[in-house]
Amino acid sequence: MKNKRKWLAAPYGIWAAGFIVIPLIIILYYAFVSPETSKFTMSNFAMAFSPENIKSLVLALLLSLISTVICLLLAYPLAVILSKKEVNQSSFIVLVFILPMWMNFLLRTLAWQTLLERNGVINGILAFFHLHRLNLINTPFAIILGMVYNFLPFMVLPIYNVLLKMDPSIVEAAQDLGADTLLVYKKIMVPLSIPGIVSGITMVFIPSMTTFVISDLLGGSKYLLIGNVIEQEFKQTSNWNAGSALSAILMIFIFASMFFLNKYDKDGEGTLF
Amino acid sequence: MKKYINRIYMALILIFMYAPILTMIVLSFNASKTRSRWGGFSLKWYTALFSNTDIMQALYNTLIIALLAAIISTILGTMAAIGIGSMKKKIQSVFSAITNIPMLNGEIVMGISLMLLFILVRMNLGFSTILMSHITFDIPYVILSVMPKIKQYPKSTYEAALDLGASPLQSFFKVVFPDIMPGVLSGFLLAFTMSLDDFVITYFTKGPGIDTLSTKIYSEVRKGIKPEMYALSTLLFVTVFFLLILINQNPAEKEKRVKQYSVIRVICKRVLPAAIIVLIAGGGIYYHGTGGISTKDQIVVYNWGEYIDPDVPKNFEKETGIHVVYEEFETNEIMYPKIQSGAVAYDLVCPSDYMIDKMIQNDLLDKIDWSKIPNASNIGRTYFEKSREFDPYNEYSLPYCWGTLGIIYNKSMVKSPVNSWNILWDPEYKNNILMQDSVRDAFTVALKLAGHSVNSSDPKQLERAEKLLESEKPLVQSYSVDQIRDKMIGGEAALGVTFSGEFLYMQRENPDLDFVLPKEGSNVWIDSWVIPKNAKHKKNAQEFLNYLCRPDVALKNFEYITYATPNTAARELIEDSDIRDNPILFPKDSDLKNSETYRYLGRKTEELYAKLWREVKSS
Amino acid sequence: MKQKLLDLSHISKSYDDQKILDDMNLYIRENEFLTLLGPSGCGKTTTLRIIGGFEKPDHGSVLFEGRDITDVPPNKRALNTVFQKYALFPHMTVAENIAFGLKIKGKSKAYIDDKIRYALKLVNLEGYENRSPALLSGGQQQRIAIARAIVNEPKVLLLDEPLGALDLKLRQDMQYELIRLKNELGITFIYVTHDQEEALTMSDTIVVMNQGYIQQIGTPEHIYNEPENAFVADFIGDSNIIDGIMLKDHVVEIFGAKFQCVDEGFGSHKPVDVVIRPEDIDLVTPERGTLRGRVTNLIFKGVHYEMEVNANGFEWIVHSTDMVPVGREVGITVDPFDIQIMNKPESEDEEAVQIEE
Repeated sequence: MKNKRKWLAAPYGIWAAGFIVIPLIIILYYAFVSPETSKFTMSNFAMAFSPENIKSLVLALLLSLISTVICLLLAYPLAVILSKKEVNQSSFIVLVFILPMWMNFLLRTLAWQTLLERNGVINGILAFFHLHRLNLINTPFAIILGMVYNFLPFMVLPIYNVLLKMDPSIVEAAQDLGADTLLVYKKIMVPLSIPGIVSGITMVFIPSMTTFVISDLLGGSKYLLIGNVIEQEFKQTSNWNAGSALSAILMIFIFASMFFLNKYDKDGEGTLF
Repeated sequence: MKKYINRIYMALILIFMYAPILTMIVLSFNASKTRSRWGGFSLKWYTALFSNTDIMQALYNTLIIALLAAIISTILGTMAAIGIGSMKKKIQSVFSAITNIPMLNGEIVMGISLMLLFILVRMNLGFSTILMSHITFDIPYVILSVMPKIKQYPKSTYEAALDLGASPLQSFFKVVFPDIMPGVLSGFLLAFTMSLDDFVITYFTKGPGIDTLSTKIYSEVRKGIKPEMYALSTLLFVTVFFLLILINQNPAEKEKRVKQYSVIRVICKRVLPAAIIVLIAGGGIYYHGTGGISTKDQIVVYNWGEYIDPDVPKNFEKETGIHVVYEEFETNEIMYPKIQSGAVAYDLVCPSDYMIDKMIQNDLLDKIDWSKIPNASNIGRTYFEKSREFDPYNEYSLPYCWGTLGIIYNKSMVKSPVNSWNILWDPEYKNNILMQDSVRDAFTVALKLAGHSVNSSDPKQLERAEKLLESEKPLVQSYSVDQIRDKMIGGEAALGVTFSGEFLYMQRENPDLDFVLPKEGSNVWIDSWVIPKNAKHKKNAQEFLNYLCRPDVALKNFEYITYATPNTAARELIEDSDIRDNPILFPKDSDLKNSETYRYLGRKTEELYAKLWREVKSS
Repeated sequence: MKQKLLDLSHISKSYDDQKILDDMNLYIRENEFLTLLGPSGCGKTTTLRIIGGFEKPDHGSVLFEGRDITDVPPNKRALNTVFQKYALFPHMTVAENIAFGLKIKGKSKAYIDDKIRYALKLVNLEGYENRSPALLSGGQQQRIAIARAIVNEPKVLLLDEPLGALDLKLRQDMQYELIRLKNELGITFIYVTHDQEEALTMSDTIVVMNQGYIQQIGTPEHIYNEPENAFVADFIGDSNIIDGIMLKDHVVEIFGAKFQCVDEGFGSHKPVDVVIRPEDIDLVTPERGTLRGRVTNLIFKGVHYEMEVNANGFEWIVHSTDMVPVGREVGITVDPFDIQIMNKPESEDEEAVQIEE
């Protein structure tokens, strides 16, 4: 039975080949082919490496790195607190934190517009207390805020799951041997939760790096991220070759980071659920 | 002590997570349209929401797609997980890698690659392409949910079943499958959630007329948020919240596991199928099918946002039985590739002058049969003459709206006199300036300020303009198109670059606003209707054009759009003489002597403009 | 007289309205091997964790060398614990595990390396420094856990059922190892187990617990030979517990037959519990027995034969190296010294008993 069972994966195999692998090859094709002559060329890549594109790549990288770090710093303590809750309460509380994730992505991001605007809610409250208005919307700050807000649950969940599975007597053993709280974290909890951390970073870094919606809605179209550039190449200027070249570069970049990152998670224990 | 710190931290995070949601819930009951003032408690947005068929249709589409995609991907994914679990390690890791690709690539690459695939195989973008794309990125999540369950599955129970006489197949379904069921269910839920929430992939793989909730919201956002959206968010939130409480009925600790199974069983066997049937039947009956391209008699119209009175297509359908499928674009540059690629077959498009120029030169348009449009005689002669600048023999285009590009400003926020473009470089108004997020319009401002033609292709002049724009950027609050209207009305900025047609509407909403055509001159534009070469319903299209040229219809459109109409018969019907003779809306020729229409500048120059514009945006 | 190293007084602890410990008092001396013995749920592990600092008592105090350490966190107590599931750090090597506590104390590298070698030698795992704990067998992991604890030279070592997961032979070997360690290191061992044989083998002192109360404290021989109540008698070794009537000092009546015994002070014509160990029963010819019965079951146990004898409706358990076949009529005699008299309990709940030594 076991031998035949593997053929159950055949339908998916075919689907994956057609809808995952082939489209990627198409992108590569467009990337390496000139729009006019349809022959092999590296000119698309040359165009892709123009200064303003590099700028957008770097900006996207910078903002997503900052967001990822902030997410990690916020999520880790939260995951620790949640993992220590008793079994009865824990799943409910976790779901309460995850619930906003089920709200529509655009609406969530939009809601921050309402809060951050010149005449938005936050400034309204500040004005009520006769405090100086803040210029929040259409700034890099707003973009980072949007990224952190949208992706925080994706950092919390994997870390939470890893911490749950951890044997509590290991922490007690460390305390027994003289470790104070700081050392327990540094030497025991953080090293053992690395699979979850890696998973969380992946789930935050990649979407932040490639977003164009967040920079659109919260950045006022003033900040061009690599995602915006690619989107424009396809939807506005219709330069599919340049856009594909940029996509290819982005793909390589992401794969490289993930390969590097996954050296820390050999067992593949870090999961989302 | 530690407990209090923990609690405070959790509370802070909770506030952070729920602040925007609570804001939206509160605003959904706000009688006033603006966000910063409370106008009293009202349920009107909820009623408006339910009567807004567009949004409801989008919601219905979203649910159906999510449901179908989740079901199909759960079946395929579970089968795949079981199959992969029985494979050798090497092949397993290959499958693992492929399964991870959709998640690692980022949605934009996924969406684009699928779009290219569909275009390449000449498949019409529409409902089915969205569905297939959703299935593609849902399956990995299902596999990821089910795999751990399969891996940790204890062989002993399967062998026990065999020992007791069950066949391998029976053992599988009676023993193994129920045990991995939690994984299958969570995979299903996850796939459903992912599909429900998706924007990017749907954005790239959808066709005209089909919108999911996310894409609908995105298109609405560009114009300014309708409060119905808040009502929608509140309802969504409340629904999900209740579902959560339902799933989380947890009595005694020891019975928790058993009870969870029975709750899941109840949900599976009764609630879920019932919900599905109710959903499909109810939604289908109420909202007349899935919309999009159907086989009914129809035309597919591609127009600017807020550029037609919503009743006009409906009335047209009532009178003629021809269904109008309506899609909107934001800028000429977004519209053009769609026409050029032929990915979607539109029957009518309303581009601007220079874009028509380009389309004619690229042989994308069909000639208009003027004999079928008798009402075209209502359009003033002078507009046809002006059209000859881009449509030399008046063969391809029918003027629809026209106007100028100028500065709209808030009198209470701007003290100095406004008569020149250079006020947009005044540091006094830092972060108070709104610019058009459109390459030609932005360059017009800079080129005119520098004393050059708006059709310049001189690299030196363009460089100068680009430097000017770069120096302006720190003062600019944002670059947008349709949002400028709401922002100026809301007092979010002091100065904005926009079209003369916007003025009437804006001033009605906020009397502090005024409009001026700067002395250096500007751009005079005409938006006209054209018929693309690959139109499928040319006869219906021309009938629609004829309908639009009727004085009463043109008047209705004018009153809604408030942009100047070239239809002189309609203009005579305007009752308010202040409007009929308004110099901003209908400027005299003498006012326009420094202003030019746009020409198509050729690909090389176009690319130069695009490159320089990118430089500005990324500075 | 050895010093009181640890003093637990009036310790009470509840979980979710369930009382685990109620006003418990116990002291432990230097260089003592003390075992907390009892069935699951009797509170022995909780007591150990309170000593270790992982639980805080609701009432009462813990004194260590005269100082109150009730509120001192576990990382600051001069005790070390060997955990039931070893709790080795999976992401560190054996050497790093053992060095953990020493590094925190700021010892030099040379000192640490030295100590690691010494500890590994002590537990017979020399050369295992760079191994990964996950790849070791249960017994090896156990010994590493012990090494990791003792290397910190605690005054008291707490062991929470450390041998539970090992097979019989290994368990017996480890028991001897632990005794040897205790003698070599000269530290106090507080040992928790539910296995009475283990307790009898290793301990200097046994504390028998049930439902949160101390039933009896004493040396292994004392507890075995002179159980205070039915629970202790039943829990430790096999026993025959019979209803009897104390006629007067030194005489008890069981099933109508009079037995000489050595206990006194129980009053006259008082109902009592009588405890007789299976190995103390002599089977003789029916005429010479104080009671008469028939052998109903016979099992060979290697060390002895176990026989069930039915006499007066009571199933006696008898251990003897001599075999008596099933069906034979026999007589039962017991040496007076081997008869243990206990008061009948006054209520269902056993009462706590405090012994002054």
